[in-house]
Amino acid sequence: MRLRHPLIAVAAVAAMAALGACSPSAPDSSNAGGASDATLTIATTTDVVNFNPLIGNSRTDNWITSLMYPRLLSISADGAKSPLLAKDYGFTNPTTAFWNLRDDMKWSDGKPVTADDVAFTINSILRDKPAGNTTYGQLVNVDSASAPSPTRVELKLKKPDSTVVTEVGFWMNVVPKHVFEPSGNVAKFANDKDWVSSGPFKLTSVAKGQSYTLERVTPYPFAPNNTPVVSKIVYRVYPDINTEILALKNGEVDLIANALPPAQVKNLQGTPGIKVQEIPGLGYAHMTYNMKHPALADVKVRQALAHAVNYEAIRSVVLQGQGVSTGSSPIPPVLKEFADPTSKEYEFDVEKSKQLLTEAGYGPGKPLTLTMIYSLQDAVTSQWANLVKDDAAKAGITINLQGMDRNTYLAKTDAGEYDIYAGNFAIMDDPTTNMALTYLPGGAINYTLVDDPALNSLITQAQGTTDKAAQKQFVQQAAKLVRDNVYDNVMYMQNLYVAHSDKWSGFVVKPSELLSVVDPQSLANAKKS
Amino acid sequence: MTTTVAGLDSVTNDQVTAARATWAAFRRNPLGMVSVGILVVLVVVAICAPLIAEYPSGYGDAVLQGPSGAHWFGTDSLGRDIFAEVVWGARLSIVIAALSSALAIAIGVVVAVLGAYFPKADAVIGTIVDLCLSLPVLPLMILVAALAGPSLITLVLVIAFFSWPEVTRVVRSQALSVVRLPYMDAAKLTGGSSFWIIRKHLLPAVAPVIVVSVVLTASRAVLSAAGLAFLGLGDPNSWSWGRILYDAQQSGAMQSAWWTTLFPSLAMLLLVVSATLISIAYNDARNPRARED
Repeated sequence: MRLRHPLIAVAAVAAMAALGACSPSAPDSSNAGGASDATLTIATTTDVVNFNPLIGNSRTDNWITSLMYPRLLSISADGAKSPLLAKDYGFTNPTTAFWNLRDDMKWSDGKPVTADDVAFTINSILRDKPAGNTTYGQLVNVDSASAPSPTRVELKLKKPDSTVVTEVGFWMNVVPKHVFEPSGNVAKFANDKDWVSSGPFKLTSVAKGQSYTLERVTPYPFAPNNTPVVSKIVYRVYPDINTEILALKNGEVDLIANALPPAQVKNLQGTPGIKVQEIPGLGYAHMTYNMKHPALADVKVRQALAHAVNYEAIRSVVLQGQGVSTGSSPIPPVLKEFADPTSKEYEFDVEKSKQLLTEAGYGPGKPLTLTMIYSLQDAVTSQWANLVKDDAAKAGITINLQGMDRNTYLAKTDAGEYDIYAGNFAIMDDPTTNMALTYLPGGAINYTLVDDPALNSLITQAQGTTDKAAQKQFVQQAAKLVRDNVYDNVMYMQNLYVAHSDKWSGFVVKPSELLSVVDPQSLANAKKS
Repeated sequence: MTTTVAGLDSVTNDQVTAARATWAAFRRNPLGMVSVGILVVLVVVAICAPLIAEYPSGYGDAVLQGPSGAHWFGTDSLGRDIFAEVVWGARLSIVIAALSSALAIAIGVVVAVLGAYFPKADAVIGTIVDLCLSLPVLPLMILVAALAGPSLITLVLVIAFFSWPEVTRVVRSQALSVVRLPYMDAAKLTGGSSFWIIRKHLLPAVAPVIVVSVVLTASRAVLSAAGLAFLGLGDPNSWSWGRILYDAQQSGAMQSAWWTTLFPSLAMLLLVVSATLISIAYNDARNPRARED
């Protein structure tokens, strides 16, 4: 599913999965060596804004709160979900979904993690609608959650929704009912002290602008011997990626949580003492054309714009070859279950673009001028925005760049105040849910403001079926509509790289910058040699 | 009436002589002359940018390459030529400097002269200037630029708006001492209008201070513009020295590719240092006591 926008995209999660999937209850303790007194220091570029995982929307918020509040499911690089807090899940009938939970997880104050906590979290999100909460959008078809037993959660649905269990299971952080309930309204609960965590770590001290210290919590079933290997995690705040890289080189930090700028990857791969780890991408970067704009409502103009982008150059120069084409489809090839390998990317063809513009009534006599917004905090997008502008100029389209501060950008995006929106989604793991949010009228991230009855019908049908083959057909047809009509111009899926000191190993790699090697299971297993 | 005219003429003649003497003294100062040379070169580079280097756009194959014969200043993270960026950046940097300092000087001088000439207005103007001078300028610039959105006009207005109080302060103190001089009283006795007196007598007397202010304000404007651009508040549609630095920071190239930051910084340093030296040399040359030494 998706997330609300790159940044927004939050999420980090508990990934305990890779191991969890095959041996959920038998932690591998063969050579982990068990607990140590080591401290793992991680660099980040932003402070925690919200300690309440139901509100947060910055990367650091998510990285840190996910170490304290578990998820029901984890995810692998192909979008497949695997058990975490939930042992298994499914539907008892089309409008009743369930998760069965494991019974060996405890909050740090000794109380067990139960189905009651999960049901409370879901019902509170539905009731209080916390700002920027990713799960809220996924709960549209959910009426309520209940806990018939301490290890079973049931969802009552208003109408069939085949993706709700996996999506909510992956995106939602479960919070302790006994801590959050007394606040009355979870959307207003600051949760900024006396944290109660289910592990692997718990915040113990905060020095704003400097560091966040977390200490080990036991038992944590996804670490060797139920005990996270390192005793402490310290997140240190640096002004930008340059200072982070310097700090890593000097040995001040052991790991940089932020993905490396593409042009720095090669450089760091050749630096002694530093190991660069590839993180598979699971989202995409795109431009959407605001269909409320009279020119952009014309499919010919959108196609002209799509033909005026040199996708190959963006991937080879800006991304240094670290990007993968999706064939202009919103289903990236990594989602093998759903991807349509026959989808063809729009060709970079200035003449064709000019011809389409002429057919649409634009040309030298009636030039087309558009504005494009993007977030200045998004370095990669800021770079390719310039290439897009230069190439569009060759086709006679003037694009005025409006790079802006992230908050202004989000506000403009929400208000629909742009001609072209450029940005990216960190995780688009499930085409059905993604498309519902991206292309249905009123969808939380429908930045094209598209409302096409044919597309709406395909997406709704995909949501209504639990038959994988039928679902695949619906989403592939929908993706084709999106591509052919340029309801979305998906440019690439980026594989990321993070750097850490070569003294550390044992990290578990998860897709996207949100999970990467900083998700809970990975940090619980990291060890110093 | 005739006497008055004769008196005026002699004042004018005196000024021409003073200007000549100043220029003669200025020429004898090697630092001043070298600085003027540097400034002229920068302005020529800015004006002739299209003849010197191709406009840096698109991308190149060799990213983050060090200085070489093909790329004198190396390339940035998109493989663009940094020499071309610095050359074209000079254009925008100098345009911003010229426009915003012109605007700041215009506002600053008018306010200063009015304040000095009309004592009643001075109390109010003095307070406003003091207030403006005590504002934290950079955070306010950032705020305004962020709210208004990055563009050339925004930058010019923001910088000018926060630079004029400094001009007013300098010009006003000079003007205050001039209005007390006997020839100002004499001018008033002739029955001339206030506007005429200010234009003919007060402004010429403070002109040297204004010249110094122009140079200093312009160089400060370059720094402000670069500072804002470095924070991402520059105009993303054109090149400036601050934007080169900003791109280097964004791409994480600062610690591995020194050339991405050194050359635009050198350009700024040259401009600011030469502007400062010119104003110092000019001040020395204008001061008869310094001249005699």
